[in-house]
Amino acid sequence: MIIPYRASYWSIVSVWIFYVLAALAVAVFVFGVISHVSVWSRGARRQGMGFSGQGVFNLFLDGLLGRRIFRGDVAAGTMHFLILWGFLGLFVGTVLISADYWVYPFLKGAVYIGYSLCLELFGLMLTIGLVWALIRRYLQRVTRLERRIQDLMVPVWLLVVVLSGFLVEGVRLSSQRPEWGAWSFIGHGISLFWSDPRAVLSVYPYIWWSHAILSLGLVAAIPFCKLFHVLAAPVNIYLEGQPDLPIPAETATADEETFSTRQMIFFDACTRCGRCVEVCPSTGAGESFSPREFIAAVREDLLLRHDPLKSLDWFARWSDSRKTEKPDLDPQMVWHCTSCRACLEVCPVYVATPKVIERARSRVVEDGTQVPPLLSQTLEKLYKYNNPWEASKKNRAKWSQDLEIPDLTKTGEEDALCYFVGCTTALDTRAQDLARSFAWILTHAGVPFGTLGKNEPCCGDIARRVGEDGLFEEQMESCLALFERNNIRRVVTSSPHCFHTFRNEYPTCQALRPPDEKVHFDVRHYTQVIGELVSEGSIRFEKRLNIKVTYHDPCYLGRHNRIYDAPRKVIRSIPGIELVEMSHNRANSLCCGGGGGRMWQQDLDSKIKMSEIRVREAADTGAEIVITACPLCLIMLEDARKTASLEDTLRVMDLNELVVMALGLQSESEE
Amino acid sequence: MDVIVCVKQVPEVIDADLKINREATGIEKEDLVMHINDWDNYAVEEAVCIKEAQGGTVTAITIGDDESEDVLRRALAMGADKAIRIDPGERELDSFVISKILAKVIKDLEYDLVLTGVQADDDNSGMVGIMLAEELGLSHAAVVTGVQPEGDAATIRMELEGGLDEIAKIKLPSLLTVQTGINDPRYVSIMGIRKARNKELAVVELEDLGIHEDHLTPMTWIEEVFIPPETTGAEMIEGDAASVAAQLIKIMKEKGVNI
Amino acid sequence: MGEICVVIEHRKGEIRDITFEMLFKARELCRAFSHRLTALVLAGKDSGLANGLAKWADRVVVFEDDRLETFNADLYKDILNRVIQEDRPFMTLMGHTSWGMDLAPALSVKTGLPLATDCVDIQAKDGRPMVVRQIYSGKLFSRVSFKESPGYLITVRPGAFLPPDAEAGSEGEVVNQDMPADLAEPRTTFVEFVDTGAGEIDITQADLLVSIGRGVGEEENIATIRELADRMGATLSCSRPVVDKNWLPKFHQVGTSGKSVRPKVYLALGISGAFQHVAGITGAGTVIAVNKDRKAPIFRVADYGVADDLFKVADALKEKLAGA
Repeated sequence: MIIPYRASYWSIVSVWIFYVLAALAVAVFVFGVISHVSVWSRGARRQGMGFSGQGVFNLFLDGLLGRRIFRGDVAAGTMHFLILWGFLGLFVGTVLISADYWVYPFLKGAVYIGYSLCLELFGLMLTIGLVWALIRRYLQRVTRLERRIQDLMVPVWLLVVVLSGFLVEGVRLSSQRPEWGAWSFIGHGISLFWSDPRAVLSVYPYIWWSHAILSLGLVAAIPFCKLFHVLAAPVNIYLEGQPDLPIPAETATADEETFSTRQMIFFDACTRCGRCVEVCPSTGAGESFSPREFIAAVREDLLLRHDPLKSLDWFARWSDSRKTEKPDLDPQMVWHCTSCRACLEVCPVYVATPKVIERARSRVVEDGTQVPPLLSQTLEKLYKYNNPWEASKKNRAKWSQDLEIPDLTKTGEEDALCYFVGCTTALDTRAQDLARSFAWILTHAGVPFGTLGKNEPCCGDIARRVGEDGLFEEQMESCLALFERNNIRRVVTSSPHCFHTFRNEYPTCQALRPPDEKVHFDVRHYTQVIGELVSEGSIRFEKRLNIKVTYHDPCYLGRHNRIYDAPRKVIRSIPGIELVEMSHNRANSLCCGGGGGRMWQQDLDSKIKMSEIRVREAADTGAEIVITACPLCLIMLEDARKTASLEDTLRVMDLNELVVMALGLQSESEE
Repeated sequence: MDVIVCVKQVPEVIDADLKINREATGIEKEDLVMHINDWDNYAVEEAVCIKEAQGGTVTAITIGDDESEDVLRRALAMGADKAIRIDPGERELDSFVISKILAKVIKDLEYDLVLTGVQADDDNSGMVGIMLAEELGLSHAAVVTGVQPEGDAATIRMELEGGLDEIAKIKLPSLLTVQTGINDPRYVSIMGIRKARNKELAVVELEDLGIHEDHLTPMTWIEEVFIPPETTGAEMIEGDAASVAAQLIKIMKEKGVNI
Repeated sequence: MGEICVVIEHRKGEIRDITFEMLFKARELCRAFSHRLTALVLAGKDSGLANGLAKWADRVVVFEDDRLETFNADLYKDILNRVIQEDRPFMTLMGHTSWGMDLAPALSVKTGLPLATDCVDIQAKDGRPMVVRQIYSGKLFSRVSFKESPGYLITVRPGAFLPPDAEAGSEGEVVNQDMPADLAEPRTTFVEFVDTGAGEIDITQADLLVSIGRGVGEEENIATIRELADRMGATLSCSRPVVDKNWLPKFHQVGTSGKSVRPKVYLALGISGAFQHVAGITGAGTVIAVNKDRKAPIFRVADYGVADDLFKVADALKEKLAGA
């Protein structure tokens, strides 16, 4: 009995041509990859690139298993898994057979049979996956998937490669007819079509060479079409574990690219799957913005500027040139994003569009001529008066004038709890209720605290979000100096934006300071403080409130900082309350539209306001009150309630106000 | 096209509560934020736009103490190439003296065009610009809302009254006082200002300019600053919005309006 | 006897109102000081302007030439300089207008005489004039005095001195002067006038105007005021800052560089009352002002005032009108 094996290059002559072509294909491939990497290397180096266990872990889960692709779309996850593993399997198979040929013939006997079977299975997986992909895109017409020429050609090409592979096998088997042929069940099945082995023999080389050329062509094409994501995405996924180095505003020179190296990789890692488009509140509001389009536009712009070939994505260029004219990178595009992070939440490859937008904004702001006038004025107010609302500092502490709250800049108390009120809460008439309520709650619970009074600066969040990094740094310096001067070590904020900036951005920016100059302080959001007070019993709810409420997760408390449960716990601990969830909640909560500087330039070509969409969702739950935990959300939803004519059906309250109501601290009823 | 822009730092008063100082000759400036005079900001933007369109340089000049360098840095960040600050020391200044000082410095510079704002937000005099023009012997025009340099002349648009504008041709070199609304001044970021630190900012002491004492003596001065007495003024309607609205509607109907 | 000169301002063949205001005030001063009142006319050939002026002044000095038909800084400055050097008037008055702003400061340097601009009152003290003018965007007033000089130049704020309708007058003599032979070639040439105030809506014809100013805050807030105007059957108008920001076209602008309006009722929302705006509503029947700042200058000129947030009042008005 012959030991199962396979003769490589059976019936093929001039094999050296194959090697030449292979070398060519690999050379083109390598050239393409190098071009991409050279574009990446133009990024401002702000990323540590060392070893990261978290990175490897993510690589396995997200890169190989495609964990995030399954989220929200099991069909997509399965389909992609089949394609990825099918392809990987076949690729490894090719490597093994080369090793078998060049190094040591180990593929024989049972090993060979096992090998054949596996490859057959992988090929089947790949085929099923590709067909499924085509069905999803062209028959089911899944909305978020695009139908450009490239999107058709790539899976079809792959499919032709894998089917031609089976064909090659089938034809070979029909001629060789080995005993173990049935193990390669698909090839075997195909081989049954021909009975006369000699007729097939003359055709076989053609089929073999076609398959070879198509496969090599595919390899060469990878860096030049959307397939490049198979290399870029894993790199990005690995780097997700790495911290971002701080960006001192000073160092960026005019020549340096705005984006860091990591961010440059985003543009190539993007698979154009469109999940971001599905969840983006700006797109949902009918605005002319989508994260995918933005990433594509910036990518195009970067390639045009940095790539020696002027655009690596020749495929895109060729196929898209048949479409209508590609829009230029319009600086006005950057202003739509609310930095809600919904896109990053669902992106299978961790493309952090909000960060990219922030960097793009910093360039636009520096140039100065494309800054919307209202935003310009807001930033001027921030610079001169430490707040984006009023052209004056005098009203900062007005909300507390009847409350006798100690001013920590004057009392010199050490280690007091500092309630950082925040610009919006201090100055907006509606949001001031939040501050007063929180002050009553702390007093009721016997927690000593103080504020910074009239001297409270802005945390700098809005400056950072709209790209005014220099102004952000100045506000940060102000804050830190004030904290240090007055020995402030414990801070609680009204706004999740302040909380996020203090907790996440300040430490990164302080990383550049020498150790003895760092100002350390511990920051919490008020929901955490109230949560603690409830669990330790300092706040006890005795009164029953028989109302149905729903809770709106603020983007900066929820998605950015993962605080979903603390506020819910507080709500649920009020007797009689029924908490219902909106259809978008927790990590996929819908943005109110106030973040990312949008509060100060709201209506950009939207068909319906984001806040209105959200407030209607709240009303649909049947709740009487929608509770929120952010002053910007409070204002946005309150306004939306009026414009959506829901004033009689729905109330908007901050969590503090609900707690005050439950504790009966204020006898006057609201409104 | 080389352009000189004269700028002034003034207190921001639009939303502020002004307090008259003890001598009643001015206001308390302590709590006020200083910024570039609004008209001058438009002038700087116009100068930079001309430079961006036609090439050349922009020089910003101010008379003031070292705090006033902020407005020069701002002008540099917007696109001016260099700046000059003239330190007046303790001198009392009026429009006459200011124009003499500026003329002394500017006459040694090379330029095709001088731009100033129509007036400054503090004294609202509107004199320095045109006085400076006459000192320098330049052709001049005031309240300009459009400038189109063409060779050795410029076509300008001036705002008259009642919605009427005038188009004229003026020979260069010229001095134009610029009206608000002529353009959209660009935003100046902190980063932009920091990066502009590399640009030249020269400081000149007034005493070193060798200006004759007669020219440094003000020709007018403020004797007294006062809040206008409450004359008849408006009859104030108090109350909550709803009752105010009701009363207003009543008044309007009484005055013969059909609503 | 000394002399007070008033430079006559005209446009497109008509004498502008500021001229009569100045002549009225100058007459008052002339009576106080026993000075002679001279009106100076620089105009195009056969302008006929001098005739209307004879009863307002003691003397009307006329320079008529085609070159003077429209205002020209160089020519006017040159001629006036010569007149001032020769006649040595005590005071020369010009309007604080586009003309005046271009002419007076240059004339001051040329003649070496002191100048105060945009004055709202003129008195004399110890043989020298003392003027009152506004500073800090109209929030404060100042009294300004001059250094002792052979003459004084003053530009007058339009609308500061309102003459009675009929002037019982003098019978001034008209003196026609020849143009100086050696006038330098002017460096500015007039090209044309452009009317920017033309537009789809003529706010000067409205009976009820709802006018917005800086207080409206943001462009998108204008929509809610427009609704109010529609509900009231009113026409929308605005002050200068709104036009500067391109929120409304120029034909909505009320004020010196916009339109003068005379509605039965003028509702000013979020308008501070800067003089240039107020000058456009002197003809209004009743002015109702709404402004958060109780100290806003508009309340000095309005008939009725509400010191409250304009949006609250606007919303309340809309509600009342919807209910009524």
